[in-house]
Amino acid sequence: MDFMLNIGLMHYLILSLLLFLIGLAGVLISRNMLRTVMSMFIITISVVLNFMVFGHYCDNTMENANIISVFVLTISVVQTIIALVILYKIYQANEYLDAEKIKDKEN
Amino acid sequence: MESNIFYFYSLCVIILGSAAGIILVPRMYMAVISLFCLICSSGFLYLSLNAKYMALFQFILCGIFLCSYIFILLKKINRLNLKLKLVNPIKIIASSCWILLFGILTCLFFNEEFNNSLYSIFNFIIEKSSDTINFMEHIFPLHLVILLVIVTSIILRIFLTTQTVPRNEEKK
Repeated sequence: MDFMLNIGLMHYLILSLLLFLIGLAGVLISRNMLRTVMSMFIITISVVLNFMVFGHYCDNTMENANIISVFVLTISVVQTIIALVILYKIYQANEYLDAEKIKDKEN
Repeated sequence: MESNIFYFYSLCVIILGSAAGIILVPRMYMAVISLFCLICSSGFLYLSLNAKYMALFQFILCGIFLCSYIFILLKKINRLNLKLKLVNPIKIIASSCWILLFGILTCLFFNEEFNNSLYSIFNFIIEKSSDTINFMEHIFPLHLVILLVIVTSIILRIFLTTQTVPRNEEKK
């Protein structure tokens, strides 16, 4: 019961882990590639959350956490946008975004 | 104290619900709304960790720009009402088992690493640097990263345009 009431590092780590697992599940079970890209972004948010939590509990100034998180988030957003542009081009070529259909077509 | 606990657990429920919503909601526009909710709620969680600038940065970059970009893209390709499609059940079961195994292994790792002594993951970065850190000095390479990404995206765009045009012509 004490573990539930005293919010600490472990709670945030468990939340981050659950978020990561949901994102991983989305990447694995979704056929729509747009959803796959969004699931990858969930994974990024869980990673950024991890950095912020470690910064808050282990680093007094939070500067390192902020710097790393800004880098990770910016790169991730840019990478997501590039992935979306690639998906748009794939859609223009095939007129669908179903990963299995595209794989079948390639075969 | 009690309000903090309530705040944390309610945010946990919203965050996990939104994340599950992104992969399980029946329509595509709902997934974008779930993503927006996830970004906002995780921003509120950062506020509870005294990281207000990071929360603001995430809200502007992801909540406003990324979500609206995805929404406009979906509207452009007429896929706002796209139905949910999952892989076949055998793959779902296999993926679930694998994710469960991964989760258990990670929990064991957490337990081993953080049970007795808690160390900072930032030590490997700051051990050779000075005590005072100038934020602008560290943020400088971001310009190079953005430049690199823009150049890469231009190259990719040119490459994809030349790759996709013949396919469209073949169809015709």
